[in-house]
Amino acid sequence: MSDLDNIIHQPVRLRVMSAIVALDPGEQIDFIYLRNLLKVTDGNLGAHLAKLEEAGYIRIEKTFVARKPRTFIIASDKGRDAFSSHIAALRQIIKDTQKQ
Amino acid sequence: MDKFNSENAQESLAIVDDVIAQTRKAIASTYANPLLILWGVIWVVSFTAAHLYLDYAFHIFTAFSVVGGIGTFIIVRIFHTKSPIRGPISRKEGWHLFWFWILLFAYVLIWLAILAPFSGRQLNAVLSTASMFAYIVIGLWFCSYFMVWLGLAVTAMTLIGFYLLPHYYCLWMAFTGGGAILCTGLYIRFRWR
Repeated sequence: MSDLDNIIHQPVRLRVMSAIVALDPGEQIDFIYLRNLLKVTDGNLGAHLAKLEEAGYIRIEKTFVARKPRTFIIASDKGRDAFSSHIAALRQIIKDTQKQ
Repeated sequence: MDKFNSENAQESLAIVDDVIAQTRKAIASTYANPLLILWGVIWVVSFTAAHLYLDYAFHIFTAFSVVGGIGTFIIVRIFHTKSPIRGPISRKEGWHLFWFWILLFAYVLIWLAILAPFSGRQLNAVLSTASMFAYIVIGLWFCSYFMVWLGLAVTAMTLIGFYLLPHYYCLWMAFTGGGAILCTGLYIRFRWR
């Protein structure tokens, strides 16, 4: 249980991390697409992204595409490692229960 | 987290799998699959047409290459602004890729001029394998390993058709080479649905 990551464990942040680690390293996901995918509000997603950014798990890049402002989110190596450890911890919980 | 049990862990993993699957649909809508589908269709149609109208093969391949070039430009423009996923390929790298293709074919033409005379089948096999060489280099460069495997597979098929099936070379290339490119594009498009 101690291996579960407190920051990633929160349901919205778990889904955010799942979406961005599904991309290849270096690939970035659009904020609007992520918001629609996760069915959350701008404010809610923004708050969870801030928490993940604060932990160093993601980077947020604001840019212009075809003269329109867009925000992209990218997973850091630290974030990918933390997510992998969290998933391993979840699998371990299931394994431990099956042994009992 | 004290009450977090096996059932909760399974639910969390199911959520993770679901989000990953949905995200991959977005990845599938980026450059790779529409470009592979476009070029797969072009290979199938142009090689089939060349088999049926061998005398016009050069004109057929030239016309379809122009169509492919224009289609590629349009797809890249559309996906650059609309794609929810931004690849590791920056604008600068995009131009590097563009010049890589131009220079590759310029050098192929130089080598062909040095090695001339050659038959239409030889010219076609050289250009096909040169394209697949580019797929392999791009696949290795951007860690898109399916491009490497696709490049190697189509190169092998080109060599089989060239040496073992000379009379059916174009038809062979339409269905194996073009088919492989098209199926890879379709596989990427639909595999996560």
